[in-house]
Amino acid sequence: MPVLYRASLGFLLRHPWQLALALLGICIGVAVIVAVDLATESSRKAFLLSRDTVTGAATHQIIGGPNGVGEELYTRLRVEAGIRSIAPIVEAYAEVNDSTIQVLGVDLFAERQLRSFTFDVKSASAVTGITGESLFSSFMTEPGAVLMSQRTADTLGLQSGDAFDVTVGGKSFKAKLLGILDGGKSATPDRLMVVDIAVAQTWLSQFGSLSRIDVQIPDGDSQQQHKVESMLPPGTQLLNAAGRTRSLSEMSSAFMTNLTAMSLLALLIGLFLIYNSVAFAVLQRRGLIGVLRALGVTRGQVFSLILSEGAVLGLVGAVTGVVAGIWLGEQLLVLVARSINDLYFRVNVTEVTVSSFSIAKGLFAGLGATLLAAAVPAMEAASYQPRLALTRSVLEHRTSRVLPLIAIAGLGIGLLALLLLHWSGSNLFAGLVAVFALILGFALCIPLAVKAITSVMEPVAAKVAGLPARLAVSGIGANLSRTGVAIVALAVAVSATIGVSVMVDSFRGSVSAWLEKTLQSDVYVGTPYGTLDRGLIEDLVKIPGVEAYSTSRRVWLEDASGRTRLIVLQMAPGSYAGVEILDADPELVWRQFAEEGAVLVSEPYAYRNAVEPGDTIKLMTGFGEQGFTVAATWQSYDANAGAVLMSRSTYDRFWNDSKVDSIGLYLSPGENIDELMEQMTAISAGRQHIIMRSNREIRDRSLQVFDRTFVITDVLYWLATGVALIGILGAMLALQLEQARELAVLRALGMTPAQMGGMVTLQTAGSGLLSGLAAVPLGLVMAWVLIDVINRRAFGWQMDFLVSPGVLLAAVLFSVIAAMLAGIYPAYRSASSQPALAMREE
Amino acid sequence: MKNKLLFIVIIGVIILVIARSLEFSLAPSTAPEEHNSNGSRLFQLLSGGHVEGYSQAIEARSFQFPEDHGPHQGFRNEWWYLTGNLDSEQGRRFGFELTFFRFALKPGRLQPGSNWQSNQVYIAHFAVTDATKEQFHVAQRFSRGALDLAGAQAIPFRVWIDDWSIRDNPTPDKGKQNEGRAVAEIEDWVLTASTDELSLHLNLVADKPPVLNGTSGLSQKAAGQGNASYYYSISRLSSQGRLQIGEHTHTVSGISWLDREWSSNTLAGDQQGWDWFALQLSDGSDLMFYNIRKIDGSQDEYSAGTWISKDGEARHLSRDDLTLTVSGEWESTEGGAYPARWEITVPEQDLSLIITPLIDDQELFTTVRYWEGAVYVTGYKNHTAIEGRGYVELTGYVQ
Repeated sequence: MPVLYRASLGFLLRHPWQLALALLGICIGVAVIVAVDLATESSRKAFLLSRDTVTGAATHQIIGGPNGVGEELYTRLRVEAGIRSIAPIVEAYAEVNDSTIQVLGVDLFAERQLRSFTFDVKSASAVTGITGESLFSSFMTEPGAVLMSQRTADTLGLQSGDAFDVTVGGKSFKAKLLGILDGGKSATPDRLMVVDIAVAQTWLSQFGSLSRIDVQIPDGDSQQQHKVESMLPPGTQLLNAAGRTRSLSEMSSAFMTNLTAMSLLALLIGLFLIYNSVAFAVLQRRGLIGVLRALGVTRGQVFSLILSEGAVLGLVGAVTGVVAGIWLGEQLLVLVARSINDLYFRVNVTEVTVSSFSIAKGLFAGLGATLLAAAVPAMEAASYQPRLALTRSVLEHRTSRVLPLIAIAGLGIGLLALLLLHWSGSNLFAGLVAVFALILGFALCIPLAVKAITSVMEPVAAKVAGLPARLAVSGIGANLSRTGVAIVALAVAVSATIGVSVMVDSFRGSVSAWLEKTLQSDVYVGTPYGTLDRGLIEDLVKIPGVEAYSTSRRVWLEDASGRTRLIVLQMAPGSYAGVEILDADPELVWRQFAEEGAVLVSEPYAYRNAVEPGDTIKLMTGFGEQGFTVAATWQSYDANAGAVLMSRSTYDRFWNDSKVDSIGLYLSPGENIDELMEQMTAISAGRQHIIMRSNREIRDRSLQVFDRTFVITDVLYWLATGVALIGILGAMLALQLEQARELAVLRALGMTPAQMGGMVTLQTAGSGLLSGLAAVPLGLVMAWVLIDVINRRAFGWQMDFLVSPGVLLAAVLFSVIAAMLAGIYPAYRSASSQPALAMREE
Repeated sequence: MKNKLLFIVIIGVIILVIARSLEFSLAPSTAPEEHNSNGSRLFQLLSGGHVEGYSQAIEARSFQFPEDHGPHQGFRNEWWYLTGNLDSEQGRRFGFELTFFRFALKPGRLQPGSNWQSNQVYIAHFAVTDATKEQFHVAQRFSRGALDLAGAQAIPFRVWIDDWSIRDNPTPDKGKQNEGRAVAEIEDWVLTASTDELSLHLNLVADKPPVLNGTSGLSQKAAGQGNASYYYSISRLSSQGRLQIGEHTHTVSGISWLDREWSSNTLAGDQQGWDWFALQLSDGSDLMFYNIRKIDGSQDEYSAGTWISKDGEARHLSRDDLTLTVSGEWESTEGGAYPARWEITVPEQDLSLIITPLIDDQELFTTVRYWEGAVYVTGYKNHTAIEGRGYVELTGYVQ
């Protein structure tokens, strides 16, 4: 090993704390990035894989409107057109033993062309005595015959031959596990059962229609495609299967992008920390470096020495970070998957898929960040004059000289960020880049501000608390080359806490107020994964005490460009107050809505599609594509890309679908909700399992989902704060060690250990206070950007800016306490140091 | 009589369920053992099948046409079996087979509800023999008998799976031959079947009325009540149309043969397989004979046939009315051997025939593996040279 590197290693080993903290910083930063990446990617991949397995070899799918595809089309395609590579599908969700299971209704005769897992069945005869012949004929002829994967059967506690109950759309049916899907060459999706298409139709009471027809069209066979398309009735479309899956998975992409941004924030804070550690390592060796330079070591050699140190640190930290990240990813996966299930679509993922790409990303980020952070101090070290390097005062002078330059650069970056925000329209990625630029720009201004504040505070402190206080305050400003970075790191971490807290509070407040307003009915009645029976609705609304009722139907309209949520309301007189119209005269809007077939669009929809009142939007109806006038925009916090609101009468004119998903009941004043619910339970008994919720319950449940979603955010910013804490501990420790001689002089001059400890504590507390103060404006700016830029761009929501002083106060307090905690050990060291010993160092 | 084939196909369904679960092979690509019909074991399985709830072929019945061209849902199995020899205008020789099988999975009626409910399964085999190029093309289809995806009906006559069908001719041919029947009674049908590489479109007009095989249409296959089927044939249907193979379309004409059979019975456990001959001779007469082979290699006493005169009169042939000698063998490229040349004598008719396959390889690798092919016939009747064409089916040869 070259002597230079040996010197370097020796130094690092003599300062194990510093080494460990630097490694920990890199490790956590990388771990968070890898973990978020793995959790989101695993969820996405699990979703895509299960979709792809179910899609099988189908390249296209024929879909219809809310009522599905008329099954006679399937016969026409086969018998009239002789198209064979098609398979009918009826899809549903069923509840089995408290689990939700996807139901795939297939025609086994058509399956071979498109899928293999649906008929790779393990012989069940050993268990059930069912012979092969009757296995097949039972599947087709026995009501409720079911096939599923072994894993799904295990989850549900079922064995081949077991009879069990399934609930579909609130109705119970008898089912029997006929056999286990073998998987074999192809993966068998979990939480899915395969039934005969007749069984699926019976469970859904969906006679005469299919969920879709899967079609395999050989690549580039446009003749076949046209042949199929020419036979499609209006309102039915042939769509690319992969495109459908993609657009479905993209619904959650904004959510996932936000998580990734969170993970980058952790790395950014880690970056400060790495810089901090490496910069210290350089500063502490300025004497050594000066000597080396005097001995003829070149600038380049010094530079590459420091950079190599950074690279080794980065590599070790990144590798441990990846390992930790995989573990952390497994923990995060549960949270991420739950939120996706809550907000977007069902995803069944139990384990992290460790992709080499995610790992590479983490390693690259860790190593890259370290090298970047080490480059500045390395250049600094290389620039030392052999002689000057020996004196520290030169360094601090230089730092003071550079501070205004850094601040100007910071202002410039901040300005660029603002310009980027202004010019980037609705691009989410650009928005996130701007956020990071703003943070960076602001952070660069902090040291100058600290310098200014300390010089103002110095005399004040002296007057109030005497010399130690004065020394402590001036120490912060005078040692900026070492404390500056720590202060900035803590400020950024705390500002992230402020920004995210303010955003979440504002968001939650807005959603809560919105729910309060939207939920106008007293009781809501629905059924899981299904629609309410017409007859049952009629009986329910006849219950004495029910003054009025509204009905709602939520469907997806789909075309080649993606999916649109359509909410169909038959409104009660009280319902109108539940829709907050943002940009038009409500009276006029409701008349157009009820009588002229106009629709309302949600705020996210209007934002995403740049739609204004008076515009016309196209929707795929039962009669093909039709234009609808937009009457107004209404406020909505739907997690999806936005929705269109339509009156029931308009809907009934354009779609042949009389189904109702849920009803809202308005009670006469003084009616007891609990009594009414009891009556409803009695009426629905034996007919359909209904779910009844008061508006309060729905609001509470919605907020629970909301809070659950932000658990991930909480976890991530606590991790970021953890990184910052480690940073400040490292900085303070190093500073105190560095100042050992200076402090020893003070001790020798007569300062007591108590004064000594107090001074150090005051110094760290002061640093913490300054960080906290700097964090407040930065946090507010971040909150503003998160609310008005990121959330808007990601989800299209607009929300009120709610800042509670408590959050800000808590943040500053947190910053001070954190810094003081980090200062305990250094203070103890200083207080207990032996002056003679410390001075003997030279 | 296609009883054996019927049972083999049923067994095929069983095997495919057991061996490959519910996997259907639409291409001859899977391992040979899947198609095998191991006689004894399959008989055991089959004899365990349920016949309760199905109608049985126990006594002779009166046949009504066109009603009996349609399905007999009370029986467990049924088929429409059409084979024929064709010549193109350029003189090329072709043979074809289009068969529809109907199987009931469960007796009884369905509850009202989904239109997809069905206890009827239809399977079709389509094969074309290109004698000039020595090529043999096979395809197979499956469907449930629901939603008009597949089915059979008497009036107007139609049996179909997807776009394969034999159905009443919507534009009847005025030049029908009249064998003493009203024009409306004469079968005038259209056949359509196609695969990716070939398609066949034929007009079929019956030259003779349906003949009842066995005893007035009751064809006993083994000892015991119910071990029988109802069985009739139309031994000559004038056939004209188009056969497209690859990029070439041939205008073709020739004579086809229809076999119709339905039953619910199980077969005896000692029967191994069978040979079926349907021959149309140049003097206008036709000969059908099925030879049931026992596991020990001997001829089953229930082997029987029908001789049909030029005028369409039928005469039942028992085992003793006919001698059958195998005089040639063909080794399948996939293993196993089939007889490939026969000599038949019918002393009562003073008839002696030599039957030779048009090409050797006319083996079908469908869910079941069997040989069914076009043949040509030479020989003597009353010491006068005679020739003919026909179809032969061989089952139970490959284990």
